[in-house]
Amino acid sequence: MAPATQLERCVTGIEGLDNILSGGIPLGNMVLIAGSVGTGKTTLCLEFLVRGAERGERSLFLSVTEASDKLIQNLSTFEFFRPELVTNGSLVFVDLPVLYERLGLEHEELSEDEIGILIRTIRDLVRQLGVKRLVLDSLTSVGYRIRRDERIRDFMLRLGLELSDAGCTSLLVSEIGPTQGRYSLHGVEEAIVDGVVLLWNARRQGDILRVLQIIKMRGTSHSQAQYVIELTPIGLLLAPHLKGGQMEGQ
Amino acid sequence: MPPDDDRILGIPELDPALATALPPGWMAVLTGPSGSGAPLLAKQFANAGVGKTPVLFYTTYERTRDVEEAFEAFGWDASAIKIVNLADEYYDRVLMRGLEIAQAREQGLTLDQMRVDRPKDRVASQFSLTSRMLSDLASIDTPFRLVLDSVDFFLEVLAPAEVTTVARQIRYRCQTVGGQALLAVHSPSHGSAFTGALEDLADVVFHLKAEPKGNRYETTLFIEKVRNRPDLQRIARARIGQSGWTTEDLPDGKG
Repeated sequence: MAPATQLERCVTGIEGLDNILSGGIPLGNMVLIAGSVGTGKTTLCLEFLVRGAERGERSLFLSVTEASDKLIQNLSTFEFFRPELVTNGSLVFVDLPVLYERLGLEHEELSEDEIGILIRTIRDLVRQLGVKRLVLDSLTSVGYRIRRDERIRDFMLRLGLELSDAGCTSLLVSEIGPTQGRYSLHGVEEAIVDGVVLLWNARRQGDILRVLQIIKMRGTSHSQAQYVIELTPIGLLLAPHLKGGQMEGQ
Repeated sequence: MPPDDDRILGIPELDPALATALPPGWMAVLTGPSGSGAPLLAKQFANAGVGKTPVLFYTTYERTRDVEEAFEAFGWDASAIKIVNLADEYYDRVLMRGLEIAQAREQGLTLDQMRVDRPKDRVASQFSLTSRMLSDLASIDTPFRLVLDSVDFFLEVLAPAEVTTVARQIRYRCQTVGGQALLAVHSPSHGSAFTGALEDLADVVFHLKAEPKGNRYETTLFIEKVRNRPDLQRIARARIGQSGWTTEDLPDGKG
């Protein structure tokens, strides 16, 4: 049974994360990466894509908030990144505002038709390029233009189905306030996705620690423990969070 | 020909009286349906400003070359006028883009298409007829002459109240720096509320009308309004000569 299980996994390549996910994210899952500013969401997602591209899985980063050039520039400070992954097309960056412009999606609030057009375009891009890993950074920014709960629900259900059908595992970044008490802008997103990974900054004895916890992940057993993550030049390092000392911040 | 400063329409029979009646900065409205010769009168008005001030001619339905040829046909120097083809710009930046968007929505986008750089003016902002014209005006701080031929195109893409606001801004600019503007309206179907508001803003209102007489058309030029000078209202027979429109009073044409 073990090899079959391996085939159904998307191995993130982030060693500690794969361990706590029992081998990786179930293939085709849509996972929310939720956290406040500076918790390492984008870095985690970028490493997920780079590791995938290195394994021959074409990876796509859909950026809403930051220009691709700047992201690639930031990425080049990590030792795990090789620029040729971008030049040979294994790692693809697309600026969503360009997509909006090309498709004429210029209204502040997207209509149902426009949401459909956006989903179809992402789906076609994924199929056309054979994308196996996708990051949307961020779902929150898209959510600001899909203002109704039922529409964000519909957007995520349809996008999730399309990506899953294409065998594409996706991470959707969700920006939340440190004390928001939920994992997303609308509050419905976490119910639809297959998994939720929560990141937050915690203070302990004067230090700020980045902490990661898998809140949910359909299709696999996983640890629910808290892990301290460190952003190093060689990538994310996860270590069990030792419970000593007083901690606050989640 | 009247002295340069007195040239209003470039019609010697009418200009001197109008010149004495109009303040330094003013705005005129010219109405005239298709076939009335109003576009030619608009060009004649532009030509009458050459040598005195910068002249801007905004066309919304003719090719630039057609405008130039119309000038040349009457011996007017088109090169002395800045012709701005709003219809072409609108096509390039709005209608063409609309076609591209429809194609992208129907046929999808390739990665290469997403990466092709668009000319900056196509993506930087939505094209606005209003901003396009008013930004030109704002950059002029000396007396100028402006023709907008025609307002009808603006009414296709803007609400009547917005077009009235544009006219108000043009008039304000005229008053501020001593400009002279003529706004042409060709279609009679815009409704009395809009034309009434436009004519109310205008300092002078001209109207051209062509009527069949035997086997040809006779054209009449109405000076329907000269602000504060109702004595200058006039109905005159208009004829096209070698240098454009000329007029002669009808026997009972003086108001």
